[in-house]
Amino acid sequence: MIELEHVSFSYADQGPSVQDVTFRLEKGEFAAILGANGAGKTTTVRLMDGLLKPTSGRVLIHGADTAKSSVSERAARVGFLFQNPDRQICKNTVREEVLFGLRTVRGQDGEEALQERADAVLKEFSFTGEEEPFSLSRGQRQRVALASILAVEPEILILDEPTTGLDYLECCQIMDRIRRMNEERQVTVIMVCHDMEVVLDYARRALVMAGGRLLADGPVPEIFRDTDLMERASILPPQMIALGLRLGAGFERADSPEKMAETVLSLRGKEAAR
Amino acid sequence: MNNLFQYVPGHSLIHRLNPVTKIFLTIVICIAAFLTDRLLFLAGLLAVDLLIGIVAGVANRTWNIFRGLLKIAAFLFLLQALLTRKGTPVFWIITDQGLLTAGKVVLRLVVVCMPLALVLAVTRITDLTNAMVQVMHVPYPYAFTLSTAIRFIPQFLEEMAGIMEAQTARGVAFDKARGLKKFSMILPLCAPLLISSVRRTDQTAVAAEARGFHLRTRTSGYKQYPFTGIDLGAAAFCLLLLTGAMLL
Repeated sequence: MIELEHVSFSYADQGPSVQDVTFRLEKGEFAAILGANGAGKTTTVRLMDGLLKPTSGRVLIHGADTAKSSVSERAARVGFLFQNPDRQICKNTVREEVLFGLRTVRGQDGEEALQERADAVLKEFSFTGEEEPFSLSRGQRQRVALASILAVEPEILILDEPTTGLDYLECCQIMDRIRRMNEERQVTVIMVCHDMEVVLDYARRALVMAGGRLLADGPVPEIFRDTDLMERASILPPQMIALGLRLGAGFERADSPEKMAETVLSLRGKEAAR
Repeated sequence: MNNLFQYVPGHSLIHRLNPVTKIFLTIVICIAAFLTDRLLFLAGLLAVDLLIGIVAGVANRTWNIFRGLLKIAAFLFLLQALLTRKGTPVFWIITDQGLLTAGKVVLRLVVVCMPLALVLAVTRITDLTNAMVQVMHVPYPYAFTLSTAIRFIPQFLEEMAGIMEAQTARGVAFDKARGLKKFSMILPLCAPLLISSVRRTDQTAVAAEARGFHLRTRTSGYKQYPFTGIDLGAAAFCLLLLTGAMLL
């Protein structure tokens, strides 16, 4: 569980980047932080992991104040996938990269157990382990970074724009893996994302930020249907939601192709009955 | 640390100097620091450095540069004081001659480094490059290489900070380690830094080529860099400094 209590933060010589933000994420939630550039999204997730210390307020992870412990100590419980995978990758082979994270936070489990865990993760992500990370494509490097984070089985996963620069297939591969982990192991996921289609497909809760403030917090479809809110936060809702709102006549609640088809069939049924 | 190399906009006397004059003034201060052997003159040169920073309206930056250099200076002072054997012992193995030599070495270091950092605070990199090409007739590829190298310093520092942050989030205890232990942790991170640096340099080179880098000559720039009265004043001041360093 992560809790932000009236958190504010200012970078040196700058105005406040995050102002009086309060919210709570329960175990197993899948939330997305939305907002325009400069809204304070990345600062908020960095505050959540303790990479930044709040100017005022508190960030609690499982009830413990992040200001009172180090980021490295929390690494076994909190995984952070950065936008740029090249900052995380530092080994010559994918196997070594996965083992690096494991040895750092799960060294006490013994080398044999770590090797077994690495093998399982490599298989799951379809890597042989001998690939050179820096020779891989951007999407594959992002998968390597994710694999090395998931190998340590964190309870909380923070994702800072995980799909930036990825093609549709790579994006789906990464997001499907994250969703599976969220559903099967009840890992709490919070992601910053600019792709509203991805947010609609994967996240269940949305936190909307603008000017460093939290404007709204609620279920993803509800948030996207609030046109005033979308305008204030400079967000363009997903096409499915926008189309539903435009069509009206029952389509407002359709947030997926399936629901759209259901609404069409239901309207046809009503028409035929008349 | 990152912003120590970034330009601070302003209209001060120092900002308005011709970029070439600023380079010349920097070189003269460096030469003067090596010509003189007097501690008092070196202290005077340090005062000149600080005064330049204040006149340029970058007192905070000057203080930050000075503070940053003090850490290296303190280490060097200790090393020099311990290793110099000449003179009369004043404390343990430290001699009066050792203290004097150490004082001169660190003052020289600070005096030489400060204007080099200050010139970047009061001059746009593009102006520095263009003036070198137009006035000093430096071939554009060389001037561009120099200015790009300077421009990349804060970017590499930022990249390094980002890499360390990412590794800390993975459990590498950068946030707890100190001194040599921290240094040994940083060494393996040189690989990603090197790779990202090469990748960035390559991208810059391709972008420059795509924008007709090879066509650029001395006459390509539209902005002119004429010498004015304040440049003459600065030149006279440089002459004074050199004379003082040689005579005093």
